[in-house]
Formats: sequence, C-alpha cells, structure tokens
Amino acid sequence: MQALPSIAFGGFSGSAKGVTARQVAGRTILSVKSWPTGQTTNAQVARRTSMSKISKSWKLLSNDQMREWDRLAEHTSGQSAFGQKAEISGMNLYIRLNVNRAMAGEALLSSAPAGTVAVPNVEYSQIAVTPELVAITGIKHQASPYKLVVKMSAGQSAGISNGWSKTVIITPGIEDDWGEADVTTLYLKTIGVEPVPGQKVFVESYWMDTSTGFSGQPVQDSVIVTGEAPHGRRVRVTMDTLDPTEDNNVTAIDVDFSTGAPVAQFNAVCLGHSNVASSIVYLDRELPTEVIGTGICLGRANGPDGKIVAQSYMVWVRNYYGKADMTFAHRGGYYVAKTECFGAGVMY
Amino acid sequence: MFNSTGNNFGAGQISFKDYQASNYVVLNSKFSFDPTNADYQACEQLEIYVPDLSIDRSAVGAVFIRFVEDQHWSWGDSVYDGGSILKSWVKDKNTIVIEKQPWFDQNGPLIIYILTLYPQLNQGGNTIKGTQQRLTMTTPDNYLRFGYETFMVEFEHWVFIHLFFSGCTYAYRDSLWEVTMEELPADITADVPICGGGNQFHPECDGMAEAHIENKVLSNQRRVMGFWDTGHDPFVYAFLVRDNNE
Repeated sequence: MQALPSIAFGGFSGSAKGVTARQVAGRTILSVKSWPTGQTTNAQVARRTSMSKISKSWKLLSNDQMREWDRLAEHTSGQSAFGQKAEISGMNLYIRLNVNRAMAGEALLSSAPAGTVAVPNVEYSQIAVTPELVAITGIKHQASPYKLVVKMSAGQSAGISNGWSKTVIITPGIEDDWGEADVTTLYLKTIGVEPVPGQKVFVESYWMDTSTGFSGQPVQDSVIVTGEAPHGRRVRVTMDTLDPTEDNNVTAIDVDFSTGAPVAQFNAVCLGHSNVASSIVYLDRELPTEVIGTGICLGRANGPDGKIVAQSYMVWVRNYYGKADMTFAHRGGYYVAKTECFGAGVMY
Repeated sequence: MFNSTGNNFGAGQISFKDYQASNYVVLNSKFSFDPTNADYQACEQLEIYVPDLSIDRSAVGAVFIRFVEDQHWSWGDSVYDGGSILKSWVKDKNTIVIEKQPWFDQNGPLIIYILTLYPQLNQGGNTIKGTQQRLTMTTPDNYLRFGYETFMVEFEHWVFIHLFFSGCTYAYRDSLWEVTMEELPADITADVPICGGGNQFHPECDGMAEAHIENKVLSNQRRVMGFWDTGHDPFVYAFLVRDNNE
C-alpha cells in the first residue's frame, strides 16, 4: 500500500490520486482533476490556442509593463472561493483580459489599463428559446465599448436545476440590436442541434468592456424551450428576406417597421431598373397587412459620378400571390439611378 | 422649445422646436456655421449637446444642408444656392449627431435645417399608418401649380408635408410667391428648404431654395436660376412641429 501524506489538513500541498492540494495566500485549495465531457467545440479549441499564445506573449513584455500589470492585479480580485477574496497575479490578469479581448476580436493589450473598470450587469426582459428562435429581448442597451457575451447549454432535462457548467460561449461579444440579441444562427452553429420543446436551456450572459477586457458579473438564467416564440418577430425587409430568384434592384436594404410610431425606417441603396425611375425588391414571404400601404422617404444620389442630389421617393408596399414586393418610385429632385434612401418616412 | 447647451463645430447656441414622445422625437431647427472655424475642422462628426431628450438613441434620419451663392453678370444677378441631405441621429439623451461631409466646405457659411423625426426601433409594435390629406395649394389665378403628390399627414403635435412643384405662370416666375395651403393647420411656423431645380454651377447637388411657412401660407422669393429645369422637380419634405406643444 502506498503511504501518502493526508492532504485533508492545512499546510499540505501536492497530489494524491485525483485530488490536488495547493496553498494560495494562506488558504488550502483542494481541486479534483476534471475531465472534459462531450466533444470539444471549434470555439473551445480557438480559445485554448489564443490563451496559449497570450500566455507566451507575457514574456515579451518589458519589465515596466509587467510591473503595471502587477500593480493593477493588486486592485483586482480573482474568483472568490469559500467566501474569501482570491488574489490574482499580474500575469493571470494579463491573460484573462487579453483572452476576453481576443474573443471580441480586439488586439493584444500590452500595457495594463489605467485602473479597474466597473462593468454593468446585463438587464433584459425575456429569453425566448424555440426550435426557430433563440433570442434575448428587452436588453437594456450599453453603448460601445461594451459587448454582450452569451453562453448557453444544449437542451437539458427539465428536471435539472443547475446546468450552467454545461454552457459554452455562443457569442463572444455582440451589440444588442435595439434591445434584442438574436443568436439563433450562432446557437445552431455552436450547439449543433435545434432546441427541443420541453427541454431546459441554461443561459449565462455578461457585458464585456472591449477596451480593457474587463467583464461584468455573469447573470445566470434558465428557460424551458417552447414550441412558438412568446413574441412576434420584428417586421423588417432585409437582404435575407428577399427572393433570390427575382431581379432585386438594390445592393442593400433594411426597412424596419418596428417603430411603434407613425413612420417606417427606410434604408436602401437603389439601383433603378429598365430605364424606369424606380427600384423594386421582391420578398420571399408576405408582410403583415398593417404595414401594407404607401410610404415616402428621402434619398441621396450615390452614383459613380459623384452626384449627391437630394430626392424624394414614394414607397409602395404590397402583398401579391403569397409574397410581398416593395417599389421605391422617384418623385422629387433630379433622378439618379444609384441612390441611397435613408431616414424615417410616414406611411398611409 | 429648448436650446442647445453646446456643440463641437462652433455654431453658437441652437434653438429647437420639439415634440418628444416616449419612442420618437420630432425636432425643428435652423442654424448656420462657418466651415473655416477651427472647431469644425477638428471634429469628426457634428455634435449638438442638448438637455435630456425623451429617447436615448435613434435610428438614422436626414437633415438638410444648404449654401447660398450669387453670381453677378453684366445683365444682372443670378442665384446658384445648393445643398443636399446629411445623416443624423440621436447618439444619447444629450447628443444629436450630424455626419460631416466636406462637399460644401468651400461654400460657407452653411445652413442646416433639422425638420426630422428620429425614431427608435424594436418598439414592440409596427408602424402606425396615418391618413394622407391632399393639400389644396391656392394662388391668384392658380399661377403656381403643384403635382399630385402634394400632401400632408396630420397628427396632434406635428405634421408631415411633401410638396411637389410642377409649374408657374411665366409672368410670375421672378415674383414673390405666396401660396395658401388650405388644409394645413395654422399653428405651424417654419423655414423649409425647397430641394431641386437645376444648378449650372453645382450640378452635383442641384439647387436648394428656402421657403417660409406661417399661418398656412408658404412664401418664397429667392430661387435657384434653374428652378423649373425639366427633370429637376423641386420638392419639400418636412416633419413640422405644431405650436401646441408647450
């Protein structure tokens, strides 16, 4: 029988079987060797590679830069354990903040930020998870440089009450789109399967200050997958909603009817067609009847000849044989085929 | 009404007429600035600082920018005023942003007209449709004529107008125009740009004149020389705050 010192009492360090004891700032930390469950995702591989590179880059810093990070680390807490505030080294802080920044697509930060940053908590009204939609809605907007990090689990049994350890990063940093973070595509890409009604999905979210890499307190939530979204989708016409089999006379379009006000928000780069002073787009679906009608908006010429003429455009929106189309018909000003329409316009 | 608390392009204090709802604001203002001043040249975008608005950001709207230009000839003076539209948005509760474009920096001083509705998106409801009301444009002997798409959409606190000029009796081409918009509410006073009309010296932007609206009457004297050039159809596009919002 192998004689090993007990690691169950203070003052010991080392490993025995699958348990490791270490002394950190006068505390004995016991940890059990963990083994990954499930398949490693591409995002995890990328994150580990990035962490490895960042760790190695620490040695390339000047002594002054390392001292800056050590100084900042003295004012920064690590993850607390058993009610005791944990300390963090300058190197670990350098790695932690730069891994966060790398996730958000930011460059390596060699010099330590001037000080710690108080990052706000995520506030939202609802998480909707259906087979067709995965979205956080009613998000209290935080302006740049904050970006939202969302971690989610695959569908779990509804009886599980603590599944946040199973969450993986769905998005490493997005800006909310008018209070909504629609992560449907990212969820499917990361998790690989649609959520199944009746299952439970665990969600963790926090804001990250991309300028420093500091992140806010994670907000944990869980939601039962439903068959239908609890709210209607925003009514918009974007390039994704156009019928690709039709001749659409725009290079960009984002017409948004979700204003809840007496206007629609028009954005389109019109190209004109067939020597007629108008541009048409065809949708692959119908639009709700309440947005069918006539609108009007301003346009500014955007052609290769450098013209910037102001124009007005009538916008006709109609449903026709199960699909919708939208016509931008020139009215006021000198017509230029390539024109960017933008701004709010009434509808009637 | 409210006044700006500052700006970053040397424009002095700017006054606004406003209607502010919980999910959009309508702002009316006219001001000028000198593009040769150091503040303007240093800024990346034009920012107007204002007291708290009812919204903390908005989608992109359009404002008008105009320059005034005269040419003196042996046979008389000619007007070549011009302009275009610029993107503008509410950046936060206290900042209105206007995009900076160098197009007219050599033609200063420049005039900005804000006649804009700044909406928010994803507001939990769709666009609320209004009622189009054709405007009857009255002048003696019908000397000034307007196209079919001359209309307003009226709301309790503001009105949208689109005016589409189509023709003028030759004898009145250089006169002071005064046209009564019969259906327009009387509680609207504003200076509005008339976009369009050919501009021989600035074909890249065309002409831009200014009209004054007060007590249902639109008046205009100064017009670009090519105002009636074929295919350069002059128009007005404006969200106008009514004087009932105090």
